[in-house]
Amino acid sequence: MDIINGLVQGFSVALLPVNLMWCFVGCFLGTVVGILPGLGPAATIAMLMPLTYGMNPASGIIMLTGIYYGAKYGGSTTSILLNIPGESSSVATCLDGYQMARNGRAGAALGIAAIASFIAGTVGVILLTLMAPPIAQIALAFSSPEYFALMLLGLSLVVLLSGASIVKGVLSLLIGLWLTSIGTDLFTAESRYVFGQTVLVGGIDFMVVAIGVFALSEVLSSIESRDETNVLPVPRGILNLLPTWEELKACRFAFVNGSLVGFFVGVLPGAGSTIASFISYGIEKAVSKHPEKFGTGVPEGVAAPEGANNADSGGALVPLLTLGLPGGSATAIMLSALVMWGVKPGPLMMEERPDVFWGLVASMYIGNVMLLVLNLPLVPVFAQILRVPVFVLFPMILGIAMVGAYSASGRIFDLALLAGFGLLGYLMVKFRYPTAPLILGFVLGDAMERALRQTLMMSQGDITTFAERPIAAAMLAIAVLILLTPLLGYFNRWRTKAIEG
Amino acid sequence: MLIDRRTAGLIIASVVLALATPALAQFQPTRPLELVAHNGPGSGNDAFARTLAALFEQEKLVPVRVQVVNKPGGGSTTAAAYMASKAGDPNTLAVYTNTWLIDHLVQQAAQVSLYQTLTPVARVVIEPGLFVVRADAPWNNLKEFIEAAKAAPGKLKQSGGSITARENIVRQLLAKSTGANWAFISFPSGSERMAALLGGHVNLMMIDPGEGIEQVRAGKLKVLAQLADTRLAAFKDIPTVKESGYELPKIPQVRGVIGPPNMPAEALAFYEGVFKKLAQTSGWKKYIADNYFEDGHQGAAESRKFLAEFEGELREQLQTTGAKIVR
Repeated sequence: MDIINGLVQGFSVALLPVNLMWCFVGCFLGTVVGILPGLGPAATIAMLMPLTYGMNPASGIIMLTGIYYGAKYGGSTTSILLNIPGESSSVATCLDGYQMARNGRAGAALGIAAIASFIAGTVGVILLTLMAPPIAQIALAFSSPEYFALMLLGLSLVVLLSGASIVKGVLSLLIGLWLTSIGTDLFTAESRYVFGQTVLVGGIDFMVVAIGVFALSEVLSSIESRDETNVLPVPRGILNLLPTWEELKACRFAFVNGSLVGFFVGVLPGAGSTIASFISYGIEKAVSKHPEKFGTGVPEGVAAPEGANNADSGGALVPLLTLGLPGGSATAIMLSALVMWGVKPGPLMMEERPDVFWGLVASMYIGNVMLLVLNLPLVPVFAQILRVPVFVLFPMILGIAMVGAYSASGRIFDLALLAGFGLLGYLMVKFRYPTAPLILGFVLGDAMERALRQTLMMSQGDITTFAERPIAAAMLAIAVLILLTPLLGYFNRWRTKAIEG
Repeated sequence: MLIDRRTAGLIIASVVLALATPALAQFQPTRPLELVAHNGPGSGNDAFARTLAALFEQEKLVPVRVQVVNKPGGGSTTAAAYMASKAGDPNTLAVYTNTWLIDHLVQQAAQVSLYQTLTPVARVVIEPGLFVVRADAPWNNLKEFIEAAKAAPGKLKQSGGSITARENIVRQLLAKSTGANWAFISFPSGSERMAALLGGHVNLMMIDPGEGIEQVRAGKLKVLAQLADTRLAAFKDIPTVKESGYELPKIPQVRGVIGPPNMPAEALAFYEGVFKKLAQTSGWKKYIADNYFEDGHQGAAESRKFLAEFEGELREQLQTTGAKIVR
């Protein structure tokens, strides 16, 4: 009953006209920021924080949080249309989203992304409403061994992401793992693979890798094909720009999968929405009846990661509000904003400042509806971008890619890296190496290595600690099962042959 | 060069002292002031820079807009190199922490010396540290924890950041002087360190008071000791490490402000004056109190001297952590 009372109080705060306005401002700014590659929600919230100094804490946090989850709605736009991820959490959306656009289903992909974002975003808020304090306790049970198991589970998905050749997939994964190890090692404070370059000491930015391998390599491939008539098809008629009933039906499981995976991974302070989106994509592919079609433009390949990165927003607020622990940089700024207003996020916040806590939660229900209404009408508009002739479109992609990679860090060196990764991506595509495992290795590798070393330091080098922890053991078992599936395939083929023989 | 940098610095400093008041009238920034932070948005350092920027404008301490610029990468390495490239620029400042000194000592690539190459403007705050454990832990003071660690070598665990961070230096010094031994587990973010402690996966953590005070207030954590010279006003009942019976050399966690190499003397005097005035404002005093900081204000010459001495001490203390010292 507390929850219902809380929600009633929350809506009485969130429905005040001034708060509705700030909610809209936040969601609108978030959408814009999400669409622009390179400009992320963290930087935007940091820049706008001074404007909120004089605001009432509920209004202020409603707006800042609106930017946070609004950016995840907008992030899919350039992923789908231009193969340039708008945010790191939208990288997984490129895999099938851009392929859908190439098949003439750009509008459908954008629509599915918006609908998946809405459904999963709302489920995330519902879960936040119903079970914030208990789920925070579950998150605390998660430590290094569990993180390692989760990351390994994610990496085992490489088997599923690698397409025809597992050997090529694993090679691609290893390159990703190597790239992510460049920089300063946390445990020894020593540099790895920096070759004496100051610019490499901090490691390589994920967005530079993703934009290079996806967007730039696509431009290079198209230059090679010299096929100027090959404009991406855009169907005429507004109905053809929206997802069909069949496409939406194919996404049924993806909506659930994205919602749950996104929320639960979001609750963990050491994971984040990029990891959530990849794991959700992998699960979608693992349970699909036609896994071989993933990567060629299936709607559920868009719905799962887009759902996951939006459900993540609700999840990430659980440790922020109930434990005072932000999981990423955007939530960290929201924490310092709350502290500045005198609201203290932590175990006592729900009791001491119910107006802010429930006001924020209620505003997220409203914000998700606003975002859907804001984003769906934009779908046909954005889809028109693909009508632009190739000799304009590809230079434009190149320009946006460079701006995106540069503004993520502000270093010229990153443009050189971008070119390098573009070339790498181009060569990989040309020689039929899958690029998704490289990206996956880069995303998960660093966190996985850290978690393994932490685990072994905690257990004084005893590896059986994994078996003693049920959550970790279960996830490791699933990972092993996934890794064994291709062997099963070999075995089946061998058996069929033997029987036929 | 006929005179070395240190002498030049001393000359600048004495000129500054001689001209302090008239110089203030001479220099006024004309372009927006750039305030560099060595981490991205969301880090403590970025928050500190943005607080300074807001207070500068709110208290009208500078006549221009203040813009926070993030130069993340390799701890402080990228930001320090950026500052070194701005020689003579009177419109760029950076906020520094201990990390700037430590990176220079342990990273081959971190070539910029905080007090020799760059121009110290002011030291601003000192952050105390608190030793916390879970509220249901069997130890009620630092001594009980250390005795328990002695009884079961390597079994107890502390979560923290990099091995070069202050919490690990303090751990090594305590371990060395008492013969106790407990593990230090590195986590990249403060949230992960705290989650590991709250979840019972590690036993001890040394925190900034602002980081865990809510958990203490909610009865989830208890404080064993505080790392401060004298008891902080907000933690009157908590003994200091010294009162707990352990002698440690001074290891302050500092935040300050640095200018580019060869910053014009008038500009240096102007900014030094800005921080002197800032320390007196009510907005600043509230910020210090809200975050449980100590006011560590020192001017340009004083903070340069402090940084030089502190670097020497850190070099010695870092040896104990197993980090490789390169300078």
